[in-house]
Amino acid sequence: MPMLHPTLARNNVNIIGNGQQVILFAHGFGCDQTAWQFVIDAFTDDFKVVLFDYTGSGKSDISKYSTTKYGVIDGYVQDVLDICEALNLKDVIFVGHSVSCMIGLLAAIKAPEYFSKLVFVGPSARYLNEGDYVGGFEREDLEKLFELMEGNYLGWSSMMAPNIMGNAERPELGGFLTSSFCATDPDVAKDFAKVTFFSDNRADLGNLTVESLTLQCAEDIIAPDAVGKFINEHTPKNQIVFLNATGHCPHISEPEETIQAIKAFVN
Amino acid sequence: MSGTKDTLEALIDADELYHSAPCGYCSLSLKGEILKVNRTLLTWLKSDEKLVGNKFTMLLPKGGQMHFEMFFLPMVSMEGRVKELSYELICNDGSSIPILLAANTIIGENGKIKAINVAITDSSERRLYEKELLKAKNFAEREQKRLEFMADLAHEMIWTANSTGRINYFNARFCEYFNCGKQETRTSFFLAKVHPEELRGLLGGWRKSQSSGGEFNQLIRLRNQDSNYEWHQLKASRFVFGDDDQTSWFGSCLNVNEHIGALKKKDEFINIASHELRTPITSLKAILQLLQRMKTEGSERMAGLIDKANHNVGRVTEMIDDLLNASQLNEGQLKLNKKSFNLSEMIGSCVHHIRIEDNYKITTIGDATVSVLADEGRIEQVLSNFITNAIKYAPESYHIKIRITPRSGFVQVAVTDEGPGIPAEKLPYLFDRYYQVNTSGGRYSGLGLGLFICAEIVRQHGGDIGAESVVGKGSTFWFTLPV
Repeated sequence: MPMLHPTLARNNVNIIGNGQQVILFAHGFGCDQTAWQFVIDAFTDDFKVVLFDYTGSGKSDISKYSTTKYGVIDGYVQDVLDICEALNLKDVIFVGHSVSCMIGLLAAIKAPEYFSKLVFVGPSARYLNEGDYVGGFEREDLEKLFELMEGNYLGWSSMMAPNIMGNAERPELGGFLTSSFCATDPDVAKDFAKVTFFSDNRADLGNLTVESLTLQCAEDIIAPDAVGKFINEHTPKNQIVFLNATGHCPHISEPEETIQAIKAFVN
Repeated sequence: MSGTKDTLEALIDADELYHSAPCGYCSLSLKGEILKVNRTLLTWLKSDEKLVGNKFTMLLPKGGQMHFEMFFLPMVSMEGRVKELSYELICNDGSSIPILLAANTIIGENGKIKAINVAITDSSERRLYEKELLKAKNFAEREQKRLEFMADLAHEMIWTANSTGRINYFNARFCEYFNCGKQETRTSFFLAKVHPEELRGLLGGWRKSQSSGGEFNQLIRLRNQDSNYEWHQLKASRFVFGDDDQTSWFGSCLNVNEHIGALKKKDEFINIASHELRTPITSLKAILQLLQRMKTEGSERMAGLIDKANHNVGRVTEMIDDLLNASQLNEGQLKLNKKSFNLSEMIGSCVHHIRIEDNYKITTIGDATVSVLADEGRIEQVLSNFITNAIKYAPESYHIKIRITPRSGFVQVAVTDEGPGIPAEKLPYLFDRYYQVNTSGGRYSGLGLGLFICAEIVRQHGGDIGAESVVGKGSTFWFTLPV
């Protein structure tokens, strides 16, 4: 039996589909590759679909997580590049959701040879308001989010007991969120959130040489219209499509519309 | 009875049940718009206006909105339910209530989600408990840190072990000594540092303390980071937690290398000093012998003085021999010349050698056939020490009994007198070096080395030594030898 490439094991890489053209789906914050489950079926006939979990998320190998490497966004960028290298990919269509958009953007700036097109689903180059720039959030809003995340990774009953008694010996007490698709280690999730939500990638937008598409949802409080337009205006060769889908997860709430928009861009 | 009927009717009034439920209810569209809301929730929110048509997220602070969009909605859409996600609701008057959200989805005929039903419970009190519990936890952590800080300041190594004897904590001094990380609490790590010669004894003693709960105290050599062995005194006491009988061990490990070194130097000095002393005394003895031969020629008074001088020279010689023996034992220079001999015969000749005044009676009982493989001269030294002690310390007891008792794997020899006995608190120290039972009376002089030497001789034969005594009845000193 051939040995599984270490990167493919680390990032729980799954490859499905019959096509030649590779389409790489990168999940957003707090979730894993199963978030794409409503859209991937539409691509498996014509594409080779590559799915993965960022190190520390989902079913990735958490032992490979290090706060030093993943304490900066480059750690996640390297995950994407490692996967392209391990699978010997070329001309990849990268579809990223939320914080993954900027990870894909940085990857494509660093190693454009791997990518042919990028699709940004609900992107933001900067979440914090700053001067004239409207990112949508103040620092305390994000702090509140982190606080809620922390509390909700634990939940009341499932949280307090292990927290008081020391979690290590009673893993069954921490089981509530860990069984869901948002199965990320709470400490990793907090680091991930800090890295991605506090990053400022506005200056990087202009360096992208690969063609890209921004999918802008209606009423998305996390990536409002102004934020999507900013990306569109500052990124060379970027198109923007305004979806009817509302909220921040069109691939979950309106998979059909999302599929159509991606297909229209990549075909 | 009609009252009951009314009650039941009120109970099955679905609308009343919905609106007056003890928790908030609302139904949302997939986009998060409020489709329906109950009165309880409106009351909590202090909201007169109907919320229907607005987004649920307008009730949340911005961070909560993000969380709701990124977690609640995707989770409920993908999994069909959510339980106990915690948020804060902003009321109409600006105040906020901590809540828990539980939700499930209603699936339409086309298999798609028609609506999301949300139950909202007020978790204010839970939050208070949470706060108190966290406070308690922080307090406990602080206390632990404080203790660890204090332990780290100590110059001694300090350690703890759990009820099964596994080491689970070391202070900073330990890490400094062995140059290891604080997480290095593996018992095997420590055991690897123990000198091979002391390892078995250490494990045996530790197991013994484990089963008896008694205090642990041993001298061992530990290998430091420069790979040199240094003497340490390892001590541990059992600590039983209040109510649930949980035990653990608190231990210390003190570097006594300098102390042991000083003792060794002292022994060396005693060794040299006794050799030096012996030379002039030997010649003195010779002179006395000459004088003794000549005493018939002298006066009666001179003969008495010569006897006295002889007696005293004999005592000084004995003491010097003890000193030499003790320092040799300490340096491990005692060479055992083992051969097989019959115990009973050895006892017979030993008793014969000891010059005893007429009124003492020594009887030997027990198995006369037992033979042992040992250094006969040394064992006789032990036995004669026991007997002379009995005569010395129990002079009124004229009957001394020696008993040979074969046991499985070893044989015990016990010497019993009917003297005044030894107080229980003094028994444990009898075999210590320089220990003297009767220091206050000053009636018996000596160096306090006799029993120490006996104990070392017996130990080096692989046997055990001990004493039992009842004040007013007598004492028994015994030793065992393997057979």
